[in-house]
Amino acid sequence: MQLLNDFKNGLWNENPTFRLVIGMCPVLAVTNTMTNGLAMGLATTFVLLASEIVISLIKKLIPNDVRIPSYILVIATFVTFVDYFLKAFFPPIAASLSLFVPLIVVNCLILGRAEAFASKNPLHRSIADSLGMGFGFTWALLLLSAVRELLGMGSMFGIQILGAWYQPMVIMVLPAGAFISLGILVGIMNYITKNTTRDTHCH
Amino acid sequence: MNNSTGRLILTLTVLGLVSAFILAFVFQWTLPYIIKHQAKAQERAVFAVLPGASDYKEVEKDGQVFFEGFDQSGKRIGVAIKATGGGFQGMITVMVGTDPEAEKVYGIQVLEHQETPGLGAFITGEKYEANFIDKPFGDYKVVKRPATSPYEVEAISGATISSTKVTSIVEKAIKDIQRAYGGGA
Repeated sequence: MQLLNDFKNGLWNENPTFRLVIGMCPVLAVTNTMTNGLAMGLATTFVLLASEIVISLIKKLIPNDVRIPSYILVIATFVTFVDYFLKAFFPPIAASLSLFVPLIVVNCLILGRAEAFASKNPLHRSIADSLGMGFGFTWALLLLSAVRELLGMGSMFGIQILGAWYQPMVIMVLPAGAFISLGILVGIMNYITKNTTRDTHCH
Repeated sequence: MNNSTGRLILTLTVLGLVSAFILAFVFQWTLPYIIKHQAKAQERAVFAVLPGASDYKEVEKDGQVFFEGFDQSGKRIGVAIKATGGGFQGMITVMVGTDPEAEKVYGIQVLEHQETPGLGAFITGEKYEANFIDKPFGDYKVVKRPATSPYEVEAISGATISSTKVTSIVEKAIKDIQRAYGGGA
């Protein structure tokens, strides 16, 4: 039950993108197409899962004073792994995410969960937390990129959905479009949450 | 004594070593695939910047590698070179295809770069690369409006530096090709 709650936490209540609003750099930057959004979400989920596992296992061996550099080392190792892996086996995705793959190292979502969760909780709960947060991050990126790609290019996953009558709103694939759609989506999420949960738990 | 200096150094050293060890293996494992993809990308780029070429061969002259493109009858139709130079953030590699006899650029393709996504990264876009299609050799001027003369290059808005850097890489590539192939004649 507790595991399920840890997992569900990241999907909705503490969704990193819509509720905690952390890790915004990739959220805003790579969500111009759904392929990029999905790839970034899955890459981040992998790094989050692997890092939380390792950090949860070695947390007792790490002196408090160097815990942040130690976490960054662990995270950087997995990010470099993902970087090589994508370049070797999925070169088109690696090319379109380019700089943002190495930048996963400084995604505060990962360091944040390592510090706030994996360093204090046992392995099985850390796995549930990382999967919840990772998938929460992934669906948020997918939703945001779906809105932006559909409005900005009239397509989804690169397949043209809207016909020739549709005049693409170019601003949606530019950085400004990311802020506009993110703001509206966060607003909608807040509205839904306000109506369904009558604020019974404390914040 | 959990936080003694020795313990801190030891922890980070061990972590760093383990991490380096793992990554060395990952690097060894993925490197052949990465090289293969780069070679394929290079081949695609040569054909893209030498329209009409059905075959090409690598020629080394004065320590530089040129790609000579041939059409179906075996006639040399152009020469391409891979030129590298500094960009806004790190190196940019551009494949430049030219016809040294007619002294014109066929086209360019950016192979590698680390420019800002959403701004400088548009140097890989068709709109910017189209600037160099069928351009006569010469010194180019980067302008912040649509180009009116063949010696002008329209900058990407918000990325004038990236646009200028690519333009000077192309100019350098032209000089290298002219030096090796004489040009005009």
